[in-house]
Amino acid sequence: MSKMLFLSEDGLVRLLEAVKASEVYAAVRRERGPEYCHLQKVPEAELALREPRPSSSLKAFLQPAKERVAVYTNEGFDVEASRLVCEDRALVGLRACDLVAIAYLDKVFREGDFKDPFYEARRESELLVSVDCVAVHENCFCTAVGGRPFAESGFDLNITPLESGYLVEVGTERGREVVDRVADAAAEPTDEQLAERNAARQKSIDQVEKQTRGLRVTDKVQELLLAKQGTDELSEMAARCVECAACTFICPTCHCFHLYDQVGGEENFERIRTWDSCILGGYSRMAGPAGAKPTPRPSLRSRCANRLLHKYAFSPQQYGMLGCTGCGRCIEACCGEIDIREVLRELIGDTSG
Amino acid sequence: MTQAAEANPYAPQVARLSRVIDETPTIKTFCFDLEQPMEFRAGQFVQLGVPGLGEAPFTPSSSPLEPGHLEVTVLRTGGVTERLHRMGEGDVCTLRGPYGKGYPVEKLEGKDVVVVGGGVGLAPLRALIHVLLSMTDRLNKVVIKNGARESAELLFRRQYDEWAAHDKVSFEMTIDAPEPGWAGHVGVVTTVLEDLPNEVNVPNSYAFSCGPEIMLRFVTFALLEKGFQPEQIYLSMNRRMSCGIGKCGRCNIGPYYLCKDGPDMCYAQIKDYPNVF
Repeated sequence: MSKMLFLSEDGLVRLLEAVKASEVYAAVRRERGPEYCHLQKVPEAELALREPRPSSSLKAFLQPAKERVAVYTNEGFDVEASRLVCEDRALVGLRACDLVAIAYLDKVFREGDFKDPFYEARRESELLVSVDCVAVHENCFCTAVGGRPFAESGFDLNITPLESGYLVEVGTERGREVVDRVADAAAEPTDEQLAERNAARQKSIDQVEKQTRGLRVTDKVQELLLAKQGTDELSEMAARCVECAACTFICPTCHCFHLYDQVGGEENFERIRTWDSCILGGYSRMAGPAGAKPTPRPSLRSRCANRLLHKYAFSPQQYGMLGCTGCGRCIEACCGEIDIREVLRELIGDTSG
Repeated sequence: MTQAAEANPYAPQVARLSRVIDETPTIKTFCFDLEQPMEFRAGQFVQLGVPGLGEAPFTPSSSPLEPGHLEVTVLRTGGVTERLHRMGEGDVCTLRGPYGKGYPVEKLEGKDVVVVGGGVGLAPLRALIHVLLSMTDRLNKVVIKNGARESAELLFRRQYDEWAAHDKVSFEMTIDAPEPGWAGHVGVVTTVLEDLPNEVNVPNSYAFSCGPEIMLRFVTFALLEKGFQPEQIYLSMNRRMSCGIGKCGRCNIGPYYLCKDGPDMCYAQIKDYPNVF
């Protein structure tokens, strides 16, 4: 069987039913628009495969907003209660930018001297089914940060919606196993269908490029950001920031967390981790008297600048990739109407927008 | 530590205090005799905590050459340290680590080593001093400068004579606020750095400093003024290191996470980032 298959509308339903996972997270249609949701099985709800990317990121399914990471009883460390048992999971309907975010989070949590066993357990058994963006959200700017509105790697299966039916690309052996279960529903794609795929992809690129208006985050931009750090120029967005931290919570690559202990019962305790945000004032506050300057970034301006620097200048040094996927979710989330594309444009000195 | 806990980097081991030493009115040293020795490099840190309350990062003050006996010297300054200070022998703490890089001891062969401590900052430096004293035959010289607010806050005072008695080692202390009868040096720690170019061969030296941020700043400026290059200056930086393993994000200076790349940073690496001091 070839790497590329054609499936009819019914064939795709059968394919997704063949995804045998005990937990499914999928992009589904909701009244307010597409959302990533937890499903018992596919297709429990109508999948959002032809809509723009969901407004939330899938981060919560990889790193929950709140999670217990260690439990201590009177006998000491409770190995069983502190372990995450993860059965087969499937993420369905991921956009290309979400795959980029997973690649980034993989570098944070699965690489280096210490691996995160909770993230690792979730990712180990995960089937990734991505879908081309045939519709583009008005805030999308993936092409400005080196991305494209469709995935070319990083998936087990990738779906391209056509006018009629779907093309499915097999990325891995794990994806192949799913496709094999519905081999009778699959056909070799015709030249017309392949041409339609290329045309649809180009159309999406054109759409993103049109709304990106030539913005490009290049190495030069990184140098510029580093050169301007500490200047007021870098922190101008702070004037409109209301410190709600929505941008960091909605961001698919933001991963900062807070660890704290709480008493769970008599003579025992548990350790919890929750999402945290570098925008919040208490984020890096240390113990000590106020006069000893226990907060390294006491001003909102310095925190806004740090976030910008981490996304576009520090991440490439730390992980070899930008900390921004160009999904534009932070633009919708921001109460202060900060548009990261405009922030970057102003820094670069591009006033054409 | 059990294997299961080792596989979970957020899970501390439970360690019983074998002794608590009153060092100064605000500083105590917490001693542990560990069943499984904790191997660490001088300058690496541990997360020491109170079960159910939380943990905080501290660089051990004991010798890395005796990994079975761990000492952590703690200034009472916040919630966790307040509770630690109320604990005594037999009480149970949480402990995980070691984390971070530690001091670049391997660079010091044949060098003059300057150690500048301020207040509780001498604690992590004592681990380094232990190592330096064990390798004086391979060093050219060790110059230790220590400052405190007042004489009662001079840390590890019982050991100063012992350190100074070593060949190649000199020790000098100073306090800001002398009490009647104080015969020693008076002034902030930078005032005992004035003569440094006559005490060490600056181009062949490395300097290590730990103390309050304001002190680190002035020590750095003083060292630069005496001819030290940024590459020769190592500073124990203070940031909120929480996870200890470079994931939680809050201890960054520029692209560096202190818990992973520090907490002792070469000044050359960090000097161009904002909010360093």
